Amino acid sequence: MLFYIFSGVMLLFAGLVVVNRNPVSSALSLVVSFLGLAALFVTLNAYFIGVIQVLVYTGAVMVLFLFIIMLLDIKAERRRDINYLALGGGAVVLLALVVQLATAVGSLGAGPEKLSPLPDDPAAHQDVRQVGLAIFTDYNFHLQLLGVLLLIATVGVVVLSRRQADDVAGGR
Amino acid sequence: MPAYLLEIFVVLLGLAMLGMEAFAGRGSRATIGLVGVAGLGLTFALLLFAVCCPEEGLSYWGIYHFDRPAAFYKGIALLSTMLVLVMAREFAPVLKRYTSQAEAHAGLGEFYSLPVFVCAGLMWMASAKDLITIFVSLEVVTMGFYVLVAYMRRNVGSLEAGVKYLILGALSTGFLVYGIAWVYGVTGEFELAAIGEVLAGGAYSERAALFAFALVAVGLGFKIAAVPFQIWVPDVYQGAPMPVTAFLSVGSKAAGFIVLLRVAEPFLGAPAINGPVVLLLAVLTCATLIYGNLGAIPQTNVKRLLAYSSIAHAGFLLMALPSVAGGGEIAGPGGGQAISFYLAGYLLMTLLCFTVLTVVRAGTGAEDLGGLAGLAKRSPLLAFAMLVGVASLAGVPLTVGFFGKFFLFNIAVQEAMRSGLWIVVSVAVLGAAAGFYYYFKIIRAMYWDDAGADGDPGGDAALQLGGLTRVAVVLLVLAVLFFGIYPAPILGLLG
Repeated sequence: MLFYIFSGVMLLFAGLVVVNRNPVSSALSLVVSFLGLAALFVTLNAYFIGVIQVLVYTGAVMVLFLFIIMLLDIKAERRRDINYLALGGGAVVLLALVVQLATAVGSLGAGPEKLSPLPDDPAAHQDVRQVGLAIFTDYNFHLQLLGVLLLIATVGVVVLSRRQADDVAGGR
Repeated sequence: MPAYLLEIFVVLLGLAMLGMEAFAGRGSRATIGLVGVAGLGLTFALLLFAVCCPEEGLSYWGIYHFDRPAAFYKGIALLSTMLVLVMAREFAPVLKRYTSQAEAHAGLGEFYSLPVFVCAGLMWMASAKDLITIFVSLEVVTMGFYVLVAYMRRNVGSLEAGVKYLILGALSTGFLVYGIAWVYGVTGEFELAAIGEVLAGGAYSERAALFAFALVAVGLGFKIAAVPFQIWVPDVYQGAPMPVTAFLSVGSKAAGFIVLLRVAEPFLGAPAINGPVVLLLAVLTCATLIYGNLGAIPQTNVKRLLAYSSIAHAGFLLMALPSVAGGGEIAGPGGGQAISFYLAGYLLMTLLCFTVLTVVRAGTGAEDLGGLAGLAKRSPLLAFAMLVGVASLAGVPLTVGFFGKFFLFNIAVQEAMRSGLWIVVSVAVLGAAAGFYYYFKIIRAMYWDDAGADGDPGGDAALQLGGLTRVAVVLLVLAVLFFGIYPAPILGLLG
């Protein structure tokens, strides 16, 4: 029951993101849609992903979006003429994807083996702990690589957004 | 010395270069590039003499693998980064104009250190044998390229190239991750060896496995610039700073091909899905060969021409891919060896061409064929170097490009005898023939066209060549010619 309520809310507001002409309303609809998704995760007992969803997407990413929209001061979008050719093309691609997915998923029997049921041990359900263990033991090497990746990204941001020399009268 | 120290050394080198940029005085900033070249050279020496090559593959923590191919690709990464840094030093004046820093060499430290981090990513990728490590290291490489392509941010072309590369790169990454998820869904494994066992075993859904392979092929097709995922190539190659273009065409392509080699092997080795996978690769190969070779013919901008040529070379390389899984005996070097050899030769000749072009660009500001007109009179050394590089790209005998193409065609013919897909070979022959036409256009411009005809700005001035660049050019020319006569050392390294 909860599943249908939350997915209904999600789909409704996802639709509103597209339909709304005002960018701020669109962004806020997206926030509600993300909240619905987070609630779905929680009903699946995936508390950790639910919390991350709220913190990262709803919190950080969407607030960033709103900031950008307000900084750029975008007015409501003009109603454009609909390009039927593009619309038709998009529909064909979408249809093809759905058909392919449906056939691929439909032809999937059971996997090579059934997943073993989750143990009843309550300690095993501490998903934050498990995620942490996986990241810092099994995938520690990859974590280090990601460190280098973040370093590159940081350097890149500095390089690309540095002020021009003529703006920086007094030196950096 | 354990092999994984090499990457740590390279990362530390990059950090040291960043530190120099931040803290060192004005005078020593000019040497950042030199420090990078020296450090990478030292790492290359360590790779050759302290690490290489164990009799059997070593594995650390089950994640980091070190064997002969890994050592070979690490060598390719180190060498190409070194040459790119040499080129970047030559390119610094142009770069400065478009980044507008107050003083010479200021703000260029990042331009020298980012390729070093990218090099570390390439080296990790050479050692990766599971999908997660492959993906993470591929992203390290790509992230570096996003920044480097857009580095000349006051140049509209460079910015445009950066945005296009970022968006299409992100899209291809999405396909790749989706494909990896499907591979995991089908096989339940991330390790490529384990995936191969599951796929060879036969207890899985073939259609889902093919869907997974198609998605991965789309993602990697972007990286190696195979048609129909090539749209970004000409614009990005043209817009990016010259050394970055060279790095893209060598580093990014080598990276894409290592990953494709590794990932395609389990799929090609599975009897149940071998047929469709080979067919898919054949279609990609034909489209890539035709588009790359025909698209290059009308180009007048040399960078754009080399971009199309890079697409064409991806086609030649793809030709040998179906034989990687070792279905049947192959006379001569095997599929993986032929591809690795070609990539090594491609590194030498492409970097040679781009080094010459960088000098010409920094000297005259021209990037089209007109800028090369009469180069033989202005600078005989550069013209000869370009002649050797271009002849090698075309595959003229006595150059390394000839042997590269020879090995690939050898494999393609034997593969065609097995699968009956002769069309691939015939398209490749036509493509190679078309290649002669557009590569020789460059030679004609250098040796027969008159420089004064189109009012070239710096037409008569002899081009200035830094000492290090001169050494690099001469060494590259000698290497292209030497390995074109005696390819055994590279093949020996491949085992």
